[in-house]
Amino acid sequence: MSRISFWLQRVAQLLIVLLLVTFGVSLLLRLIPVDLATILLPVGTEEERDILRNELGFDKGPIGYYLQWLGNFVQGDFGKIYFSGGTEEVSDHLKVAMPRSLLLMVYTQILSLAIAIPLGVLSAYRAGRRADKIISNTLFTLSSIPNFAIALLLVIFVGVKFAWLPTLGYAPISDGVWEHFKHMIMPVISLSLGLIATYTRLLRADMIAALREDYVTMAASKGLSDSRILWRHVFRPSSMTLLTSAALSMGGLIGGAIVIESIFATYGIGFEVFAAIAGRQYVALQSTVAVIALFYVFFNLVVDVSSGFVDPRTRDRRVNA
Amino acid sequence: MRNYTKPTWFAIGWLGLMMFFSLFGWLLPFKPWNFVFEDDLEVGLFSSGHLLGTDSNGYDLLSSAVAGTRMSVFIAIAAVGLGGFIGSVLGILAAYLRGKIDTVMVTIFNVGLSVPNLVLALALVSVLATNVDINQAVPTWRRVMVLIISLTIVLIPILGRIARGATLSWSGREFVTAARSMGMKDSKIILRHIVPNVLPALIAVAFLAVGVVIIAEASLSILGVGIPDGASWGGMIARGRNDLEYAPHVLYVPIVFLALTVISTNHLGDVVRSKLDSREAKV
Repeated sequence: MSRISFWLQRVAQLLIVLLLVTFGVSLLLRLIPVDLATILLPVGTEEERDILRNELGFDKGPIGYYLQWLGNFVQGDFGKIYFSGGTEEVSDHLKVAMPRSLLLMVYTQILSLAIAIPLGVLSAYRAGRRADKIISNTLFTLSSIPNFAIALLLVIFVGVKFAWLPTLGYAPISDGVWEHFKHMIMPVISLSLGLIATYTRLLRADMIAALREDYVTMAASKGLSDSRILWRHVFRPSSMTLLTSAALSMGGLIGGAIVIESIFATYGIGFEVFAAIAGRQYVALQSTVAVIALFYVFFNLVVDVSSGFVDPRTRDRRVNA
Repeated sequence: MRNYTKPTWFAIGWLGLMMFFSLFGWLLPFKPWNFVFEDDLEVGLFSSGHLLGTDSNGYDLLSSAVAGTRMSVFIAIAAVGLGGFIGSVLGILAAYLRGKIDTVMVTIFNVGLSVPNLVLALALVSVLATNVDINQAVPTWRRVMVLIISLTIVLIPILGRIARGATLSWSGREFVTAARSMGMKDSKIILRHIVPNVLPALIAVAFLAVGVVIIAEASLSILGVGIPDGASWGGMIARGRNDLEYAPHVLYVPIVFLALTVISTNHLGDVVRSKLDSREAKV
C-alpha cells in the first residue's frame, strides 16, 4: 500500500515538474517584446495574422494560450513551422530528429560504459598505484576539455588532414551499416569523453568502498580468484550507481548535444531547438523543449523504478523515509 | 600552501595569468583585437610580430585571445557570483526553514534542472535578446547583460540544490540545536553556524561552475547567439571554423586558452573539495 502511494506521489511530482516547465516556456514566449504573429508571418496581411493569432491562442491571456497549447500537445499536435512557402508540422521534424538523437545517445552510452567499466574496475583494483593515477589524471584532463573542442580537433585531424571520415551529415542505417557508423563515430567520441571520466570516477569510488566490505574478505579467504571477486562480488553491487548516473545523463544528452549536432550537421533534436531559435519558430521551440523535458523526466522515473527493482534495499529505505 | 602539487601550481598560475589578462590586458602594448593587419592574413603560430599568428580577417590572435579572456572571464565571474549568491540564499533558506518553502524551492530547482543547461540558456538568450524592432541588431553590451542573466538563471537551481544539500547535513547537528535552544535567532544561526560550514562546499562547486559557464558561453557563441562580433573565446572559435581547412591554428589558440582555463578551474575545485573531505574525516 505504502509502496503504491509512494509511486503515485513520485509520478505526481514529475507531472507537476513537467507542467511547470512547459508553462514556464510558454510564459517566456509571452515575454518577448514583439508580436509573435508578425514574426511567424512577416509578409502576411493583417487578416492572415489575426487568423493565426486566433488559431494559436495568442489573442488569449498567457494561461489561455498555455491551456490551448497543452491541449494540442497531449493530442500529438506539436504546432507548425512557418516559412515563406507555407508550413511544416513540428511533429514531422521531430519524427526525423528523434531517432537520430536517440541513436547518438545510445551509441554514446554504449561506448562510454564499454570503456569506463574496465577502466573503473582496474583503477579501483590498483587504487593509489601507478595505473590508477595514470587513468584518473588522463581522464580528468580529457573530461575538462569541452566536447565542441574535441569535435573540432577531430574534424581538423580525422576529417580534413587525413580525410578518414566524413565531417558532415547523417546516414540512416538503410544506407548501409558502415556508412551509418562512419557518420556517427566522431560525434559519439566527442560526447563520450566527458561521460567516460564521470563513469570511471563513480565506479572507482563505489568499488573501493565495496572492496572494504566483510564479504570481500570472506570471499578472498575462501580462495576465490581476484577477478571473480572483482566482477561477481564487487562490480555487481557497485554497478547500480553507474546505471543510475547513465540513465540520468540520457536526459541531459538528448538536448545537450546541440553544439555537437550543429558541428557535424547530424540534425537531431538539439539541432531542432537551435533551428527553432535561429528561425524564430517559437511554437516549435516550445514543443521541442517540452519533448526534451518529457524525456528527462521519463528517464528520472526509469531510474527510480529500476533502482527499486534491482536493489530492494533502496525500495525499503524510500518507503520508510 | 606547502603541499600543493605541480598541477595545482600550474592551475593557480594559469588562472592568475587569465586574471591578469582580464584586468590589465588593456595595458599590454597590443593593437585592438579587431585591428586588421592587411599584409598578414592567416600567418601561422610564432611568426614575427604575431606570436600566435593571425586569422583570415587579419586579426592578431594573441590580442584577440587577451580581449577574449576579458569577456569570457568577466561573464563567468559575474554569472557564477550572482547565481551562486541567489542560489545559496534560496538553498540555505529552503533547507533551514523546511516545510512548504522547502517543497516549493525543490520543485522550482527540479523544473530548472529538467531542461538541459544549454537548451535553457539558449531559450533565455533568444527571448531576452529579441529587439522590439527585429531588424535592428542588439548592441554588444546588451548581449553581454543578457548572457550573464541567462547563465545566472541556469546556475541558480544547480548551486541552490547543492547549498540545500549541504545545509541539510549541517542544520541537524548538535551545535545548531544547542544554539537554537539557547534562544539564538534563526538569522544569526544561519549566518554564524550554517554559512561558514556550507561555504567551503559552495566554493568548490563555484570553481566547477566557472568552467561550466565558460563552456556554455563559448557554446552559445559557436551557435551564433553569444557575443556577435567575436570578442570572446567562443566568438574566436565561431569565426575560426571557416578557416578550419587552411588555417587550423586559428582554432587551436582559443581552444587551448579555453581548455587550459577549464582544466585549471576543475582541478582547483577538486583540490578544495578534497581538502574539505579530509577536514570532514578528521571531525
